[in-house]
Amino acid sequence: MKTKFTWYFVMGFFLLAQISFAQQKTVTGTVTDQDGFELPGVNIIEEGTSNGQQTNFDGQYSIEVEQGSTLIFSYVGFKDEEVQVGQSNTYDVVMEQGESLEEVIVTGYGQQSRELSTSAVSTVTSEEIENLVPSTSVDNILQGKAAGVQVTAANGRPGQTAFVQIRGAGSINASTAPLYIVDGVPINQADVNNINPNDIAQFSILKDAATVSKYGSRGANGVVLITTKRGSKGDAKIVFRSSVGSGSKIDDPFDLMDASQKLELERQYAALGVNGADVLPGASASPERLAQLISYDTDWEEELLRNSYIQSNSLSISGGADKLTYFLSLGYDKNSGILDRIDGFERVSARLNSTYEAKDWLTVGTNISLARNTTDLPRDRNNVQNPFRALYDYNPYDPLYARDADGNVATSADGSPIFNTSGSIQGFPIARALKTEPEDNRNFLIIGSLFADLKINDKFSNRFQVGGTSNRYNRTNRSLAGGVLNSAVGNSDFPGTQTDNYSQDFEYNVNNVLSYSDTFGELHNFRADFLLEYNERIYTELRAGSRGYPTPDIPYQIIAAEPTLAYSTEARRVLFSQGLFVDYDYDGKYLASASIRSDGSSRFGPNNKYGYFYSGSLGWNIAREDFMEGSFFNDLKLRGSYGTAGNQNIPDFQYLNLLGFDSTYNGSTTAVPVGVGNPDVKWEAQSTLDIGVEFSMLNRRLRGVVDYYVKTSDDLLLNRPISNTVGDENNSILSNIGEIENKGLEVTLSGDIVRNQNLRWTIGGNVAFLDNEVKKLVNGVDIDNGTTILREGEERYTFNLVRYAGVNPANGQALYLDTEGNVTSEYLSGNNTVLSGKSPIANIEGGFYTSINYKGFGLRADFVGKAGNYILNYQRSDGVAIGGIGNSNRRVEAFNYWKNPGDQNVLPSPLYQGTADQTSTRFLEKGDYVRLRTLTLDYNLPSQFLNDNLGIDSFRIYATGQNILTFSKYEGDPEIGIGSGETANAGGRNSQATTGFVPGEFSLYSYPQTKSYTIGIEVGF
Amino acid sequence: MKKYIKYFSLLSMALVFVGCNDELKELEPFVQGNPSTFFNTEQTFQYGVDGAYAQFFNYYADGANGYQGLPDILSDNVIIARTGRLSNETFYDYRYQPNTGGSVSLWWSEAYEAISNANLVIGQIDNLADSPEKDNILGQALAARAIAHFDLVRAYAKIPTQSADAAQSPGIIYIKVEDGDTDDPLANPTRETVASNYTEILGDLTRASQLIGDDNGEGRLNKNGVFGMLSRVYLYNGQYQDAISAANQVDAPIATKEQLPGVFTDDNNAGVLIEWSVNTSSESTYENVGVLYSQTVSGDLKSEYVIDYAFYTSIDTSDVRRPIMVERVMYSNNDYNAINKFKGEGTQINGLLDIKVLRMAEVFLNKAEAQFELGMETEALATLNVLRAERYNNFVAGTETGSALEEAIQFNRRVELSFEGHRFFDLKRRGKAITRSDFGDFADGGGTPAEIKVLPAGDNKFQLPLPIGETNANSNIEQNPGY
Repeated sequence: MKTKFTWYFVMGFFLLAQISFAQQKTVTGTVTDQDGFELPGVNIIEEGTSNGQQTNFDGQYSIEVEQGSTLIFSYVGFKDEEVQVGQSNTYDVVMEQGESLEEVIVTGYGQQSRELSTSAVSTVTSEEIENLVPSTSVDNILQGKAAGVQVTAANGRPGQTAFVQIRGAGSINASTAPLYIVDGVPINQADVNNINPNDIAQFSILKDAATVSKYGSRGANGVVLITTKRGSKGDAKIVFRSSVGSGSKIDDPFDLMDASQKLELERQYAALGVNGADVLPGASASPERLAQLISYDTDWEEELLRNSYIQSNSLSISGGADKLTYFLSLGYDKNSGILDRIDGFERVSARLNSTYEAKDWLTVGTNISLARNTTDLPRDRNNVQNPFRALYDYNPYDPLYARDADGNVATSADGSPIFNTSGSIQGFPIARALKTEPEDNRNFLIIGSLFADLKINDKFSNRFQVGGTSNRYNRTNRSLAGGVLNSAVGNSDFPGTQTDNYSQDFEYNVNNVLSYSDTFGELHNFRADFLLEYNERIYTELRAGSRGYPTPDIPYQIIAAEPTLAYSTEARRVLFSQGLFVDYDYDGKYLASASIRSDGSSRFGPNNKYGYFYSGSLGWNIAREDFMEGSFFNDLKLRGSYGTAGNQNIPDFQYLNLLGFDSTYNGSTTAVPVGVGNPDVKWEAQSTLDIGVEFSMLNRRLRGVVDYYVKTSDDLLLNRPISNTVGDENNSILSNIGEIENKGLEVTLSGDIVRNQNLRWTIGGNVAFLDNEVKKLVNGVDIDNGTTILREGEERYTFNLVRYAGVNPANGQALYLDTEGNVTSEYLSGNNTVLSGKSPIANIEGGFYTSINYKGFGLRADFVGKAGNYILNYQRSDGVAIGGIGNSNRRVEAFNYWKNPGDQNVLPSPLYQGTADQTSTRFLEKGDYVRLRTLTLDYNLPSQFLNDNLGIDSFRIYATGQNILTFSKYEGDPEIGIGSGETANAGGRNSQATTGFVPGEFSLYSYPQTKSYTIGIEVGF
Repeated sequence: MKKYIKYFSLLSMALVFVGCNDELKELEPFVQGNPSTFFNTEQTFQYGVDGAYAQFFNYYADGANGYQGLPDILSDNVIIARTGRLSNETFYDYRYQPNTGGSVSLWWSEAYEAISNANLVIGQIDNLADSPEKDNILGQALAARAIAHFDLVRAYAKIPTQSADAAQSPGIIYIKVEDGDTDDPLANPTRETVASNYTEILGDLTRASQLIGDDNGEGRLNKNGVFGMLSRVYLYNGQYQDAISAANQVDAPIATKEQLPGVFTDDNNAGVLIEWSVNTSSESTYENVGVLYSQTVSGDLKSEYVIDYAFYTSIDTSDVRRPIMVERVMYSNNDYNAINKFKGEGTQINGLLDIKVLRMAEVFLNKAEAQFELGMETEALATLNVLRAERYNNFVAGTETGSALEEAIQFNRRVELSFEGHRFFDLKRRGKAITRSDFGDFADGGGTPAEIKVLPAGDNKFQLPLPIGETNANSNIEQNPGY
């Protein structure tokens, strides 16, 4: 690692040496706004040249120019200022705010001034995301940053992607992940963890029909447009960032038993006569043995976990000359994770974005990013192979290493300690298994695009873009000879097994937008874009396995004795689209837009090969009206949109009758019909109505956006049962039948409480209220999903559980309610009751922040939270279970069981294990929480301390804490995505969404969330 | 000039999109085939027939719901072991309902999948030029289609000899590609009569018997197998003379005393006319049929069902079948008479092995029963004695007549075909009640007896309910009475 670090510095300084040897006059000064607040990042260009600079964090600049030249100062939202350089060497500039915040937002296939947009678009800028640990996947970074974007971390594993839903889930069987587009190139959700967050300039999240409709059959789940940084004209700007930190598991809000407590619980159970408890050590061991066991007291969290090591380095070089701009970046991120004995997540990334004005009518450019990440995965299963389960399960009196009769650590012939396999370890010593059952994943992601902008004449222009993403995925999964698994299930004649997966996921996109824009009578502004787009995804996979390894040191199958597995496959999808988008405004006051797009997809059946999607939207910039002259509103816009979009995340070739060759019969090939096709199969449809208000007032000190929407998703793909006599494998045909409605209110507000030369205090936040209802299922029949259910009129995946009615104070028996509401001591799964309004889906989600800047100091806190969701807490159910206490530890809470008649607020008596240890509403808990996601203190060194000779423009140091405070009543960590890896896989590679799984439905033992502290520096040259 | 360069650039960009529409329509699946074009050679047709066999294996061998074992669990041959997992207790206690799942839904669904596979072959067989090889493939497919329908109709409907009303009672739906039955996947077909079903089954089997080859290799249907199956279906349909004739067409020896143990460990295939085979090395993860009866837990055999004590003690010690059927084991400190058939290949105890669907011994028993039913007692006795000579040590030819002869035939049928999926259907087709003994599950007859001891003749539970999935999806189908 150290070598990489040094290398960055060398490279940084090498470039530094080239920076300044011009021989002209140096002009300096400070740029401020009308309030005297210094403006950082103001572009200063010497007119007619490529000579340029930017102001630093204190609004100061320094530029070498010839006397008599003109400097042009430009800054977003402000009017350009021009200064003639005369005798003076100092020019302070006060910039005047423009007519409006000329914020430019990236929308579908182009960009637009926010003021003229009629769409609900949320943006998240680089400043808002820079405080998170950069090994965090960028989708996780969005949590709490934009109204209506629901982000649920899948788990706490470094580099793990998240579940992202925009305005609620509008599907049952198809993926509900949004479409991610990086600089115009679509990428897979699974690959977003391979984007360096430091490269991102802006996220633009398209939520309503006015913009998502332009993405047609891929727009229904919303669109996340990621724009990476570009160079701006002027001298090279070099920024170096480096941070280190450490993380640990977030403390549980409960205690596990220690050795003496656990032994005491066993003794109590035996005394009560609980079946089988009499043979447990707590009841049967001699006092000497008990003392020995207590002396072994083991904190398994300490044995299996560690403090993670987090490191991040990045370097960017950007700038531009007369006709050229460039942005180059390198990044290295490492997060060892909190699990001891494995390596964790590592990412190396590089990017070059450039544009070149080849002719006065032609601009060409390219964006290329290369990134590789590696991660080793612990087994995320709800069984003995999972270390995060082990730390709760292993008895504290079972030590890490085996002991001899005297209680000394037993050693093998070579003197190394022998891992304990007995007792609650159940023959699977996880600490050893992490070493002998390694699983290693590598992803190599290339995102590249090139474009040519053609200016045909004043009215017509054309942009042609070719882009591609290619991800190479490698996975090596081994069971070493003599290791834990190989000893148990391996073949002793062929010790050691290995499986390698290799897949290539390649998607390319070619599009062309021909644009026409014109102004009639000076007031009527008109623009039309015509889109042609072709998109293809090609997925290939190879898999091979073999057994019999002479040495564990060579992880390649060429040394294996014999192959056991060979496999290859391919899948493709093609999309061809045409679109026409029209925008009109009258003097910037009255806005109207419309779009229509047709999508032909290889996934759609021959009867519905082309889908048509349209939208219409209107806006009114009230603030521009004459009667608003002099009001305290700076901006006030009312807008509304309606339109359609589709979700084409449906399986391939559902419209065909297919023949499968997957299985053999008595060793020979079989040809088996695997499904009856549905020639009508098509995209899942969606229509959205959105009404919104955007405003800013009091000299833009208070800014806000409010949106109300109704999103109807219909034609949802469900399995329509067919007669078994057809002989279909699933006895069903995937058909467009279901309907779900999401509606909600989104509010985003921010305000500057104090804004003056030295102090700026801003608070802001967003909140989204969501209401979700299943409207239509196949013939109105419920879809029972175990602990949840889909039922017309209820929330999607409402819990369906037996209702717990507490403990009978007379005898300690667990009580339940039957479907009629009568109390019964019997537990019957037939008494499952649909718990209206209780689902894993939050009704309220949001985030808020507060930020104070005083002179060079900054303090910013970002909170995220949600409310209204319920979680089935299996972790707690295990922690207080009566059965199996011999094999697993318990929470201290387990002592609080019914002991005497009249006992209240207690756990059921251990004598009623059969009815007590059952899944019911007893373990259904509210998932409400608020979490301090980041708290950052930083300091920007004022420029007077920066020695010009060093060439340093800016210097920032900072310290960040992540996840350091949580407010919740949930008995565990409330931030849950996947309970356990076998039930779901967020953004699983080439997989459709896992049917019947909702993120956050239940807790189990997936990689826990972590809290971390990092410190870093950022130096600009 | 410059102007033209611009337009030329624009044109070349637009040209990129020419042909995109064709890409869209030409894309085809990569790892799956097209069922309407794939079948064009003898080999590919054989893959299709093997697909049907694979579907048979799926529902016969299913470790939880196998057709190979459940008819014994539904009968008086076994008793549930209380130390087992109590698997299939719903079936053992005759509590199955349309929504029970398990065998109720599995057989219905999988047998129709086998039929679908067979119809795929039959419907396109004329892609091949006429030849003996074509006939052989068509013969296999027709026989497979018939057997799957037969498995359905005997489970979900009455058997013609079961009662007077049986023939005209609702049967199942016979799906024939030639009749256009496979055209509409959204069709809601109605049930035909039992009589009609048997006519079609016998029609397919008879046609198959004229087309099929003598030997198609292990696990595939052949001429002997088809005639053997014909003898069984004729017997079920009460066509006794035809059953005898079909039996006479089978040219195969019975497994000898010495061979018989090896038949159930796949050491030999003596006397096996139809089997669904499994390659235990390359298909080691396939369904373990033996798990229906028992599995190994930490080296001990944990029984789900054990042989009924009364049945066990009725078998003479000179009967070589006794040790093949039963093994004394200890589990959880209790002795059990565990079922010894279908434990595994060779000395394996993993329950994975070939399914014995029809053996030569059954053909003799079919023939003997048919002869008896026709009053040909001498011939019946002679037929039975041929089998018994290979089943008893020091066998002295029997001399039974009348009801004693009938009983001897049925007793030998029960013993010979025990745990191979016959007993429930044999009692059913003969219109008998199922009467279980009062003994418990332990080896000495102690322990817990069966909860339901009698299923009276004529009880609706003799016909499995149609699965709820079918009645939900198909509005025209009629559920069996009593469900």
